[in-house]
Amino acid sequence: MAELTPAQHELATLIVESLNLEAVDPAKIDPDAPLFGGELGLDSIDALEIALAVSKRYGFQLRSDHPDNQRIFASLRGLSTFVEAHRASG
Amino acid sequence: MSEARHWRQHREGGSRFAYRVIRLLALHGGRRFGRLLMYPVTLYFFLRRGAERRASRQYLARVFGRSPGPWPMLRQFHAYAVTTLDRIFLLAHGERGFAIEIEGLAELERRIAEGRGVLLVGSHQGSFEALRVLSARRPDVPLRVVLDKSRTPAMTELLEALAPDVGAAVIDAAQGGAHVVLAAAEACRQGAMVALLADRAGEHEAQRAVDFLGAPAQLPVGPWLLANALKVPVLLCFGLYLGGNRYRLVFEPFAERVAIPRGQRGPALDALLTRYAQRLEHYVRVAPYNWFNFHDFWQRPGGDPASV
Repeated sequence: MAELTPAQHELATLIVESLNLEAVDPAKIDPDAPLFGGELGLDSIDALEIALAVSKRYGFQLRSDHPDNQRIFASLRGLSTFVEAHRASG
Repeated sequence: MSEARHWRQHREGGSRFAYRVIRLLALHGGRRFGRLLMYPVTLYFFLRRGAERRASRQYLARVFGRSPGPWPMLRQFHAYAVTTLDRIFLLAHGERGFAIEIEGLAELERRIAEGRGVLLVGSHQGSFEALRVLSARRPDVPLRVVLDKSRTPAMTELLEALAPDVGAAVIDAAQGGAHVVLAAAEACRQGAMVALLADRAGEHEAQRAVDFLGAPAQLPVGPWLLANALKVPVLLCFGLYLGGNRYRLVFEPFAERVAIPRGQRGPALDALLTRYAQRLEHYVRVAPYNWFNFHDFWQRPGGDPASV
């Protein structure tokens, strides 16, 4: 299992906190494992809470009409890459 | 029983070509002419579709408590044919030529006025297209229907041809749950009505069994997780066909807000699904021939059909 980058770890912590995943240690999330339908016990519908938390923390919107949504929400790595590319600077 | 198939493997009620022909004949010949056509069409489908016939027998046996003869089954097939035809007129001309009574409109309007959006949850009973009447009466409130475009090409084509505004506003479930929930949330922020049907699950969609007409039936949990995520008022919605040119559009408040705590998803979902199934049962009793799930509704997940 790949080690998390600092950005991935920060995002993993945000997800665990905003979704109240009490049993999950953010550091132990596999960045390439499926975000939904896997060990985290998340459903794809949980994308809304993640999107809300991301927009609050990083200052940009994850939108329904983004053509890469399936890839973005595929894994922690995919989401983190997208967040790093779009987060409001500073 | 090798005929027991998942509903997704069933063909749509008619091919795209058949829909096109009927659309042409209906819009040029009018509803009276179209209705005459529906008698041979009903008989044709009744004779040709064995799996649907068995599903109809199984359903009606549960409703009436005895095995039905051909007449009630034909009535169910005919109601399906007529409402499918009426879709064309409802989408093309709105309520013109129909007598549509609306129940629960004040309840719906009160929640629309809150401006947070509403979630309308329906079923394959009667005509969901009767909702179109509402969007014609309240053009200020956008209506966004959740539909799997890849699974319903004929319906999608019909919508896009006859009601381009509704067609363009479809939220395509084929694009996955993340897309659906984000699009629905964006719509609700604009005060829109988001509508979906909650009585059929996709093959790989999570579902749970609850009692329906005396035996466990699998229902999808997705619509309720969506309601939980959106945090908007939920109303049930039924467009019952009453015969002739009469429909009754019913809006029934279901919850001001659906809450499914993460730690108790199972029990919370079961409670919601049970209440939903009870309301479906209620409307089955009100309008038994409006049931348009022509597949083994009580099929167990492994594909093993429940016996009647």
